[in-house]
Amino acid sequence: MVATEAYVALSGVLFSIGAVGVLTRRSAIMIFLCVELMLNAANLALVAYAYRWAGTGLLTGISGQTAVFIILAVAAAEVAIGLGILVAIFRNRASTDVDALSEVRL
Amino acid sequence: MVTFVILAVVSVVGALGVVLLRQPIHAALSLVGTLLTLAVLFVTLQAHFLAVIQVLVYAGAIMVLFLFVIMLLNIEQQRKEIRPWLRWVAYGIGLVAAVGLIVGALLDPRQAPDAAVARAALQGGNALLIAEVLYFEFMLAFQLVGVLLLTGMVGAVALVQRRRPPPGGVSAATAREAVLTDRPGRPSSHPVEAGGR
Repeated sequence: MVATEAYVALSGVLFSIGAVGVLTRRSAIMIFLCVELMLNAANLALVAYAYRWAGTGLLTGISGQTAVFIILAVAAAEVAIGLGILVAIFRNRASTDVDALSEVRL
Repeated sequence: MVTFVILAVVSVVGALGVVLLRQPIHAALSLVGTLLTLAVLFVTLQAHFLAVIQVLVYAGAIMVLFLFVIMLLNIEQQRKEIRPWLRWVAYGIGLVAAVGLIVGALLDPRQAPDAAVARAALQGGNALLIAEVLYFEFMLAFQLVGVLLLTGMVGAVALVQRRRPPPGGVSAATAREAVLTDRPGRPSSHPVEAGGR
């Protein structure tokens, strides 16, 4: 059986790749995709720890998986709102380049 | 072990594709590959229900929504960068973060649980067990997610819909509204846009 830390390390790698994507991509849609990648990396760590602590009691193990379920619902809501904002911005600006969106600043 | 290595390599390659591929469609399809790989990893971790949900909701619904929006918006190619060295700074940060997370994970080795014990406790992560925890221990979170989804639904409709001007004369209120909604085809009324960048 694969050790838990291997799963957590893979989760860390995926999270870092997603973070690099958020820092380097310039189109807002691509930034959203990278945020989804980071969310999934966090989900993988939660499921791995749910497996790790499964033997110590029923709730400890299964609540990790339940947290992933809730994260999934939050991600769905976030995508709906985020893509709605993107479509509204694109309608006004004909661009989703985040460097050009500089009106909302102090 | 072999399964894990194959899945890990495929998922990391897919994630790199999300970050590095130029075309947004290719990047989105690459993310679909990573999501499917993660679903298989969930199966190896005794989370069968979550694996099904991952395929249905993430790889199905959410990514289809992404692909729709990408095709709808027809994003232009990336322009020339203002500060090219910033990209390398970001790669360096990502590398440091990845190495740090791997070392942190490996420095904390815990004995892997007995597969039979974990399998008996999780029971494949079936929907009944998850529902029991979700409706008792996670009740507040469940209710809040319900409110959040309702807010998301209303917000998405409110953001995307177009307002039609009422027939008849243009009052001051509708004129202001027209400026606020700022439809395409109209000359922009933003002073920032008029000044150019």
